[in-house]
Amino acid sequence: MPRVLLLFPTTTYRAEAFLRAATRLGAEITVATEEDTALTGLNPHRLLTLDFDDPAGAVRRVAGFAREYPIDAVVPVDEQSAVVAAALAAALSLRQNSLQSTLAAGNKYRMREILRRGGIRTPSYQLFSVDDNPEFLAGEVKYPCVVKPLILSGSRGVIRADTEEDFVRAFRRLAAILCAPDVAKCGAAARQILVEDFIAGKEVAAEGLLSGGKLHVLAIFDKPDPLDGPFFEETIYVTPSRLAPTAQAEISSCVAAAAKALGLTEGPLHAELRVSEAGPWIIEVAARSIGGRCSRALRFDGGASLEEVILRHALGMEIQSIQREQEAAGVMMIPIPKGGILKEINGVVEAKNVVGIEEVSITAHKGQELVPLPEGSRYLGFIFARGATSESVEVALRRAHCHLDFVIEAEVTKARWHDVGLVGPPCRM
Amino acid sequence: MEQEIKIVAEVDKEDIAVCRFTVDRPVYAGRVDFARSGGAKGVPLAEKLFEIEDITQVSMFGPVVVVSKLADRSWREIGKQVGAAIREYLKSGMGPTEERFQASLAEPAAMRKKIQELFDAQINPGVATHGGWVELIDVKDNNVYLRMGGGCQGCGMADVTLKQGIEALIREKVPEVWQVLDVTDHAGGTNPYYEPAK
Repeated sequence: MPRVLLLFPTTTYRAEAFLRAATRLGAEITVATEEDTALTGLNPHRLLTLDFDDPAGAVRRVAGFAREYPIDAVVPVDEQSAVVAAALAAALSLRQNSLQSTLAAGNKYRMREILRRGGIRTPSYQLFSVDDNPEFLAGEVKYPCVVKPLILSGSRGVIRADTEEDFVRAFRRLAAILCAPDVAKCGAAARQILVEDFIAGKEVAAEGLLSGGKLHVLAIFDKPDPLDGPFFEETIYVTPSRLAPTAQAEISSCVAAAAKALGLTEGPLHAELRVSEAGPWIIEVAARSIGGRCSRALRFDGGASLEEVILRHALGMEIQSIQREQEAAGVMMIPIPKGGILKEINGVVEAKNVVGIEEVSITAHKGQELVPLPEGSRYLGFIFARGATSESVEVALRRAHCHLDFVIEAEVTKARWHDVGLVGPPCRM
Repeated sequence: MEQEIKIVAEVDKEDIAVCRFTVDRPVYAGRVDFARSGGAKGVPLAEKLFEIEDITQVSMFGPVVVVSKLADRSWREIGKQVGAAIREYLKSGMGPTEERFQASLAEPAAMRKKIQELFDAQINPGVATHGGWVELIDVKDNNVYLRMGGGCQGCGMADVTLKQGIEALIREKVPEVWQVLDVTDHAGGTNPYYEPAK
């Protein structure tokens, strides 16, 4: 049986989905995480611990492991593990992206540089240090702009500024986020801030699979809630897109060109784009699949999950079809309405009973400290719907969300840590 | 007169490409798992099932046959073929005798003791390092029911601990086990060791 090495950050939502898919394919599974899981020591051929911040060290560790347990595929789930996967795959001669391409895709400044040089439509940008004085910079920036970190995902730390005052506030707020312990450990990239033009228009996401440098677009998601700032909270994704076929074709071409410019050639790809009157603009291209539990919104002919498609590609197995199912599908990432401690969750049964709703998955737990954007990086949960049309799916998601009631009590002692600038959000070091 | 063979088919709620066929009599004494790529290894029912186009994986234990499929053909269509293959196999007398099937069933108390010893000696000391514990709830028909608590309940890595750790250890030490079933209310966890975030 082929063996797949799955690289899971311990914070992933995707472990169950990848394990299920790998099991279904009959693969032997080894899971590598950046910290020990509870039984790592008891199952050394099934559970590994690798330092995801040290790809070279990970290569040494896995090369020794692979001599005893040959590995047929390495599959990452996020940007950081994508870099490690590229290094491992190069050492083991497996199908993966190059190390350079994953490093570029994992750093928004490098990505912008490469896309600009490649003639891909992408916002104009400037790079600053967190140590710069935003009051001096405010006059050099074009408004409206977006202040964002080079790393991080899920819109964490991304803030729009319309005026010089907004900019100074946004810059300082992001600088504080970058000083949080879980971010600061990411090194030099956590000391820099990207400021780019705000592109007015609709936002979409594209999910793709690269094989031998050829992009297969698996789905284009509309994001019907306007993402105009000041924060860019992801909520609803619905596919198929309601954009005109020509606009969708332009999006696909734009993503393919971006992937080519970055040198991404193999495996999943997730892109975020703005669609203005001028056409699509690449906001981000990542060498990973869609985050959170959102992949459950995708199902392919025969019922294959996105994880199965990714694993089949990595293992060199036949992929019979990557045609998405006929039904429209969507997911709502349930946003955190305010910071505090989650005390109660009500209305889940009623939300599940809404016509078209397939699942309501609450991933936050009672007693959890909730940190909203731009400091936070988590959702309260996910709602999934399927239906005949994208419109009906969107309506179902909104109706279900209306039933949910989260009782959140402000915690006085930890209130507004970002304003205090002394204590970071909860994180495990 | 031979009794009609009754089969109940149930599509997996989590994975619609998987369907579970529960037969009113034993199909296999013990547990076996096959992927199409690895072949049926001379097991007649698995060979028959892999003759059905689109079937990718087959597991059999006791009266249960779990089948995974590819492609767009519906379970309504494939299920009929699976049902026919199971009936043909059983009618031809290739299924296990009642005696052989009974012999394959572990004595629940003995199996419970072995698993509890495994929990006490290895699994619980391991998960305790993350503030968790695993409780053996029941052993029934060679199936193990367990519940995770503390740091394991709702943990982002609970599936990894379960599948790659607990289940793998159980299968290694107590190979006669058919299924390891987690009955934990993970949504009710209040202190998970790893909180999912991406």
